[in-house]
Amino acid sequence: MTPRELVYATLEFENKTHRVPRQMWTLPYSEWKYPDMIDRIHREFPDDIIGAPAVLREKTIEEGDPYRHGVSRDAWGCKVTNIHEGIIGEVLTPLVEDEEWEDVDKIHIPREWLSFDRDEVNAFCRSTDRFVTSGCCPRPFEQLQFIRKTENLYMDLTDIPELMGTFMKDMHAFYCELLEEWAKTEVDAITFMDDWGSQSSLLINPSLWRQIFKPMYKDYAEIGKKYNKKVFMHSDGYILDILPDFAEIGVDAVNSQIFCIGIDKLAPLAGKITFWGEMDRQHLLVEGTAGDIQAAVSKVRETLWKQGGCIAQCEFGPGAAPQNVYEVFKNWAEW
Amino acid sequence: MAIIEEISEFLQKGRAKNVKALVTQALEEGEDPKAILNEGLLSGMMIIGEKFKKDEVFVPDVLIAARAMNTGLAVLEPRLVEIGNEPVGKAVIGTVKGDLHDIGKNLVMMMLKGVGFEIHDLGVDVEPETFVDKAEEVGADIIGMSALLSTTMPNMGEVVEELKNRGLREKYIVMIGGAPVTEKFAREIGVDYYTPDAATCAEIAKKAVEERK
Repeated sequence: MTPRELVYATLEFENKTHRVPRQMWTLPYSEWKYPDMIDRIHREFPDDIIGAPAVLREKTIEEGDPYRHGVSRDAWGCKVTNIHEGIIGEVLTPLVEDEEWEDVDKIHIPREWLSFDRDEVNAFCRSTDRFVTSGCCPRPFEQLQFIRKTENLYMDLTDIPELMGTFMKDMHAFYCELLEEWAKTEVDAITFMDDWGSQSSLLINPSLWRQIFKPMYKDYAEIGKKYNKKVFMHSDGYILDILPDFAEIGVDAVNSQIFCIGIDKLAPLAGKITFWGEMDRQHLLVEGTAGDIQAAVSKVRETLWKQGGCIAQCEFGPGAAPQNVYEVFKNWAEW
Repeated sequence: MAIIEEISEFLQKGRAKNVKALVTQALEEGEDPKAILNEGLLSGMMIIGEKFKKDEVFVPDVLIAARAMNTGLAVLEPRLVEIGNEPVGKAVIGTVKGDLHDIGKNLVMMMLKGVGFEIHDLGVDVEPETFVDKAEEVGADIIGMSALLSTTMPNMGEVVEELKNRGLREKYIVMIGGAPVTEKFAREIGVDYYTPDAATCAEIAKKAVEERK
């Protein structure tokens, strides 16, 4: 069975191999600081899932490196300040400052992303036996926060100004167009994301989420299904309230902080959606012992594995002890 | 419905314009400014805090309620100054060095203000010395620190060390919070309180200051 076949079997709950697909996420922070450990993990536990290259023919308006000290600009025009080398910075000043969004014209919709090289993507997919995810990742809520700053955006959502509403429609139409173009390629899955949880609850009222954002994600998932692609989503925080919604709209795999939510609470969803990681990066990877990690992997496997439904994924980011990241993949491999 | 009760009701709905108009009207009608503050604005904010703790309302609801409270306070504050109204206590709040995240800190500030604290916001990426300098300058009761990253969390301990170095550790109530922060970590670095959310922080802060007085 190739890695690609293994991932499909896992997503379809037909994996009888006792081999869980793997994927390690890295940030520049760990790539710069721990290159040897990253090489070792990639060598001993190669990723079964990889991202497609997005080679653009048109240049975006991005400036600077968001992972370096200083101020950079993203493809939408938002200025990002970074004081922490190797991880992404924060937007300190909103791009749209007016409460009624009168200055909405400051936003640049990055249509340059549509100029990605389809031939290169298809050649890449054919050249590998691994499962390939799309090279775009719509994130409407997060991008709105970058545009408006988190607090302002949250308040705007309680009574959406007319111009903001119009922009959200434009943004969604763009994301749909982009996803459809990617879905037409030979990638195996489309991806999108938004962090929806705080440490102990959803960030906004679930009913407001279902009214505004769920229909957007449903459209994204339907684009994937239309082209027979698997649908992958990432969402950090405590998102238990909306996980059944993701399963309902056709998300195949969700990357979330399952330890923040609590593994036992996820048991009813086992066999209905695949848990694309993760391992607790707030505590376990930072300060856990080898025994803690072994117990955590066992707990996930015993609770959520149903001839599939789990992907051995974790993020090697700031604070994570390199040996602990290694232990995660070692334990998943020792079934 | 009595006007002060109405202020509380509209604040809970985040209706800033109504709150401003009602506070103005209440003052014109000769209502006691302290009653407007305590039974109107702060009472409304405390109800929001309780509901937030129980997941009955969410961050956007807290933010619009706080915005309404601030609108009302702007009208009320000159009168409170005139009558010499004292805050429950003073708190110096910031996100620790190396960390630019501010939503958690800002929620805590709103909740503390909502129970009657005077707030001094140090912003983000705050040096340990700055926490202590500001606390000394304003005569604070509480030093509050926030961190979102596991890599910046240890900088909370540097503030505690700075207090110890200056012989000031026992002078202040030190509180911490943030996604990766735990009770265990709070004990390790020797702060007084860790609270898991902004509403609990305000509740404990008020109690701790009252106990000290």
